[in-house]
Amino acid sequence: MYEIRFHGRGGQGGRMAAEAYALAAFLEGSYAVSFPFFGAERRGAPVRAFTRVDDKKIRIKTQVYEPDYVVVLDETLIETEDVLEGLKEDGMVIINTAKKPEEVRLSKPVKCATVDATSIALEILGRPITNTAILGAIAKATGRVSIDSIEKAIIEKFGARLGKEAGEKNAKAARVAYEKTLVGVAQGGKAFVPRKKWLPTVEEMPIGGATPAMETDAGLVGIGSFIENKTGDWRTFMPIIDKEKCIGCKFCWFYCPEGCISMEDGKASVDYDYCKGCGICANECPVNAIEMKREVRT
Amino acid sequence: MNIKDLPEESLFTPGHTACAGCPAPAIVRNMMKIFGKDTIVYTPANCLLVFSGTYPYLAWRVPYLHEAFENTAACISGVARAYRKKGKKTLVVGIAGDGGTYDIGIQALSGAAERNEDVIYVCYDNEAYMNTGIQRSGATPYGAATTTTPAGRKIAGKLEHKKDMAEIMRAHEVPYVATLSISHPKDFLEKVEKAKETEGFRYLHVLSPCPTGWRFDPAKSIEIARKAVDSGMWTLYEAEYGEITNIYKPKKKIPVEEYIKGQGRFRHFTPEMIAELQKWVDRKWKRLYGELPES
Ligand SMILES: Cc1ncc(C[n+]2csc(CCOP(=O)(O)OP(=O)(O)O)c2C)c(N)n1
Ligand code: SF4
Ligand code: SF4
Ligand code: SF4
Ligand SMILES: [Mg+2]
Repeated sequence: MYEIRFHGRGGQGGRMAAEAYALAAFLEGSYAVSFPFFGAERRGAPVRAFTRVDDKKIRIKTQVYEPDYVVVLDETLIETEDVLEGLKEDGMVIINTAKKPEEVRLSKPVKCATVDATSIALEILGRPITNTAILGAIAKATGRVSIDSIEKAIIEKFGARLGKEAGEKNAKAARVAYEKTLVGVAQGGKAFVPRKKWLPTVEEMPIGGATPAMETDAGLVGIGSFIENKTGDWRTFMPIIDKEKCIGCKFCWFYCPEGCISMEDGKASVDYDYCKGCGICANECPVNAIEMKREVRT
Repeated sequence: MNIKDLPEESLFTPGHTACAGCPAPAIVRNMMKIFGKDTIVYTPANCLLVFSGTYPYLAWRVPYLHEAFENTAACISGVARAYRKKGKKTLVVGIAGDGGTYDIGIQALSGAAERNEDVIYVCYDNEAYMNTGIQRSGATPYGAATTTTPAGRKIAGKLEHKKDMAEIMRAHEVPYVATLSISHPKDFLEKVEKAKETEGFRYLHVLSPCPTGWRFDPAKSIEIARKAVDSGMWTLYEAEYGEITNIYKPKKKIPVEEYIKGQGRFRHFTPEMIAELQKWVDRKWKRLYGELPES
């Protein structure tokens, strides 16, 4: 048996990728299961999904804790969490990034495959949806299933949902990714400080759970404490404001779901720590002073 | 009251975990700017609760409490009475989703309205049970695909039309009922202000297009809200003691076909289904405005 853990963000289709991979393995005569992590995760928030493949029936129903392969659909995730957690000794990580494997830094040196699935998806599908392209990379990097089966699985799964043409385009994205995948070894040495949890004793726990703003050893909790949660890494596109054009109408300030636009000297300014890149500000600006640009992260 | 009259200071922080492009955080943030610091907010289970309060973290800078699905209006009734007994003017607000309002919370809501409790009840309406993964509610429009009304070959989407919740509340003849859309800021803010100034039971109903559940590009949330108003799918009005006192009439009525474009939940619509939805809009329009527009 081998196990795969997919790391993505809500809405990126990690769950569909896990399912389509299972289908590809099934088409080759294996037993396969896949399922997402259950939680109240929103589009853009970090999410996980799992696939198990075996040549006999699979009875185990738990999440995957010690994967053979880790697949990362969203590059920003390798900055904020240790995606290698629990990865087997000779395991491998497959990452959607424009970098070469040798340029990637993780918690330890590890076999690594990379592919710029976002660019491939933008080019072929016109949308930064990378869950099909990445499947081609898995096929190439692991050699566990053939790219032909991956294509078949994509056409069956995505075609049924989105129509034949979309199914074929997605299969093509996987094929292109398959051809462009690089395999190598990533660097290690990146340190992760796990986010501390607030674990109050019964005495410390406020009555009824009603929590005022409190500084704890896990940071601020209670009233107003979400301010410590930086949602800027959810972004794929970033709004750039042309201050010359901005007439200070404040529409973007009013509409921004994050409340992360402020007015400086009568002009709008974005706090990128929180901006999720939804594009509402650019869509609503009456003088087109805001442009959404593909974010390049270094 | 317009955008520029709003204070800079916010009582709802960034860092919440709503989907990118979800208009609900902008709705509550801008409402809170008018409600002010001396406010207590209650919310049952829904997206808003989950994305603005994941214990022990909270996006609110006012007391924010969670109660059960069925009893938002009952909870705020009791809390408001306690405050009044203590001689306090604290604004008591309940904010529930459409599932929590149209379906599950309607009994407590009707009771609180009939008793004319001194509270503000807000329904943010994203036309389905979104937090649990897009199940249809009484607010889901005709034909929309949800996970419980999928677009199948024999039955395509929800069979029934949207229930007119604001009209049900108007029939309670409470001091104030208003329907709002974030796409119309001046109208939105004036209604929130009016609600704050009014005493007794106040009901605010705001449309909240959901990019995840309605399946559209997150950049279009406001645009879609605007089209909902322009097509008559959503109507903006105010009523005092059951009488309509103010009604917004779009300059040009657009066909529903234009509204449903770009929303995945309507992708399977046939010309017959479009006609059925248009008929519903026209009926509602005629009832509210007395006549159909030229167009
Ligand atoms: C009594 C009860 N039934 C079911 C649930 C599960 N539940 C949690 S949130 C939710 C959906 C709420 O829908 P809505 O009120 O429309 O708010 P939305 O999530 O769409 O914003 C459901 C069904 C619950 N928490 N309590
Ligand atoms: S893209 Fe614009 S509206 Fe959306 S979160 Fe960023 S600043 Fe706010
Ligand atoms: S909407 Fe455009 S013009 Fe208005 S404040 Fe924002 S950037 Fe400036
Ligand atoms: S599912 Fe819809 S209502 Fe819920 S947070 Fe996401 S966009 Fe908002
Ligand atoms: Mg809802």
